[in-house]
Order: sequence, then C-alpha cells, then structure tokens
Amino acid sequence: MATGEVRQKPIELILARNFLASLSTPSFLVDHHGQLVYFNDAAGALLGKRFEETGAMSAREWGARWGPFGEDGAPLPYEELPLTTALKQGHPAAGRFTVRDSSGRQHQILSSALPVVGADAFRGAIVFFWPLDSSRDLIGASP
Amino acid sequence: MKLTVWGARGSVPAPGPQTTRYGGNTPCVAITLADGALVVLDAGTGIRNLGLTLASEPQRIHILLTHLHLDHIQGLMFFAPLFNPDSEIVIWGPEAPGVSLQDRIARYISAPLSPVEIRELPCAMSFNSAPPSEWEIGPATIRAESIAHRGPTLGFRISEAGSTLCYIPDHEPALGAPLDPSQPEWISGYGLARGASLLIHDCQYADEEYEEHLGWGHSKLSDAVAFAACSEAERVLLFHHDPLHSDDFLDSLSDLAAARWVQYGGAPDRIALARETQEIALAGQLLGGA
Repeated sequence: MATGEVRQKPIELILARNFLASLSTPSFLVDHHGQLVYFNDAAGALLGKRFEETGAMSAREWGARWGPFGEDGAPLPYEELPLTTALKQGHPAAGRFTVRDSSGRQHQILSSALPVVGADAFRGAIVFFWPLDSSRDLIGASP
Repeated sequence: MKLTVWGARGSVPAPGPQTTRYGGNTPCVAITLADGALVVLDAGTGIRNLGLTLASEPQRIHILLTHLHLDHIQGLMFFAPLFNPDSEIVIWGPEAPGVSLQDRIARYISAPLSPVEIRELPCAMSFNSAPPSEWEIGPATIRAESIAHRGPTLGFRISEAGSTLCYIPDHEPALGAPLDPSQPEWISGYGLARGASLLIHDCQYADEEYEEHLGWGHSKLSDAVAFAACSEAERVLLFHHDPLHSDDFLDSLSDLAAARWVQYGGAPDRIALARETQEIALAGQLLGGA
C-alpha cells in the first residue's frame, strides 16, 4: 500500500494552475517562495520553452534564462519586479520591461502581478504578460 | 474501523420507488472506531436515521463536515443526539474568511429556516475549524485538506490501526486540466487519497452528462475512476449519486465503473457505487448491503 506522505500543493495554486492552463494570456504562477511552479503554453510560446521542458525553477534560474531587462539592457534586480512586490508587499503591481526568449530574441512586455491569498495563508502570485511587439502573433493576442 | 453509509445521494434527497436500492438520503457516513468512538462524515439527511439508531445514553460524537452546502448539513437539526442534554457534539469543518464555522451553520439552524436556534439545543456543542495539521480523535488520526469544489471544501483522511479511509464526496479534480499521474502533487485530493484502504469519492455524473455540468464541482465517472487509480486506492466506493439517477441507471454506471477499473488493473469487485445502509469493515470483509 502506498503511504499518504505525499501532499498536494495548496488548492489555491492547483486551481490557479488549471485556470492559467486554460488561458492564451501568457502567465506565470509562483509559490510564496518565489519559485516558478508553472507557466502556461502561451508564456512558453513567447519564451521559446514549454513548462514540460523546463519544470519548476527558482527566481535565479528563470531570471538568468529570460531576464527581465531594463530599457538600458541591464538585468532588473529581482527586488524591483512586479512579482516581487506582489510576493513581499502583498499587493498587485505592474511594470514594463524586456525579456529574452530562448533563442536570444528580445521582447517588450507589460507585466501585472497579483497576489494569491488562501483562506489561511499567503500562497504566491500570478503574473500575466502582455507582449508589445509582433510576438503577440504567437499567442493570437488581438482583442 | 467500521463504517456505515447512511446517505449517498448528492444535491437533494431523492426518495421514491426508483431509488430504493441505492437510497435517497444525502451524504452521511458513520465510522465506529476501535474504542467505540463515533465519527460522522457529513450531516446530510442520512444522519437522521443514524440518530434514531443511537441509544439515549450519553454520547460524544464528532461530526466532520466537508463543506456547508445544504445537502451536507440538512439533516443536522434532525439528529436526535442534539436534543439529548447528556450528549456532546463536536463539529469540525472548513475555515472561511471572516465568518466562524458556528455562525455559518447558524444561518441554517436559525429563523426563518429553523424553529430552533443553536443556542437552544440542549446538548453540549462545539465548533472547530479543521486544523492544517493532523489531529486525533480517539485511536484515529485525521487529516483534512482543501480540495477542488465550489466554496471552501475539505476532504478527510482517517487512519486507524493500519487502515485508512479517504472521504472526498464532492470533488472535481479534473476541472481545467486532465489528471496527470506524473505530477500527482498537482492533483487536488491526491495526498489524502494516496494508498487509501477505501476511497469514497464523488461520481455524480455519467460521462455524457458532464459537459452540461462542467465547473459545478463534481466528477464524471471516468474522472472518478482515473483519480482512484492514480491515487492507488485499494477499494473504491463511488458516491454522491445524482438525484435524477434511478437504481437501474446506477446499476449501469456500476458496470461501467468496474470495466474502467479493470482497464487500470484493478479487480472488478473492488469498486462499487455506495448504497444506503451498506456496512464495511476496513481490514476485514464487506459486511453486507453491497
């Protein structure tokens, strides 16, 4: 008999992941430690890798892989990202910056981060991206 | 532990000649632990019949509520021990933002829906939000986890002497994404159900009915069986039957469930649809009513 030691992720993250998986809006899901625990296919199309290829990543790992970068091309400190504001200050935040996909191509994006708060604990954040260049065509983003 | 199904119907009671074999009462399962302690899972209309079987001597009864939808609490104020001044009733349920468990239940047990108020009940009654960590009731260890259903909802894992019962009567784990056994930690309820001696799980809909009820918080048959297989439950009791499903229709669902279970490598006699008055002894044999 298998034991019961494996715990499910918090239900808020499970439902958020299922929701994001159904969207064509590129989006990240991070846990309360800042670990990227999921990104959807639309984000994968923008960044050139699917989640199934990368798996979960620490902030350091995905930052090194994709950025983001400021207007001067320098990497933005993790503390200045909307995601970090959502996680550490617990309120929504937004920003505009550049990310670099897996082929090295750069994309201008808007980003909005929303905290995910459960019934009894802070769970993490959802980050939505909106490409400002032709990469919008990758995800069919044309309202 | 020994358990008795007092109600296996979902949504609303469904009495009548079409439902005599599986029963029409809404969810209630009673567990008798090795020391004789009584734990009751949900307080649907089935709890009324349970109450009638309990002697009038003092009782300490734990009631574990998965959530507060009416079909899971409707029988509570008809539960005889509530009217026994020598009884002690301990209610456990899900936490919700801003309102206590007692206040939420009092929305039902109060005017104009009820002729009595909670404070008028003669028994000793207490209310507890299920803690995030395990707790003990007599010789049993209880674990609660939030699961995918509409509104704050728990599943329970109850372990005693090497046997484990998992109870997830209202559950839609495949909503928005298919069940993926390679990432079980992302499956709602998986940790509760994993390796359970007996899994009692939602199976409200036939597959062809599900499309019209997507997002209502309940499972279709194929998802219920897939969840049970993924979690490696030893035995499965499918539960929360739709009120429109007659005994004959449920018989056909039972056959389909067994066939699917066999496809996952299970034995056909290890999966069944729950029937009212059914008794099961875990770590023992089916006692009757199956």
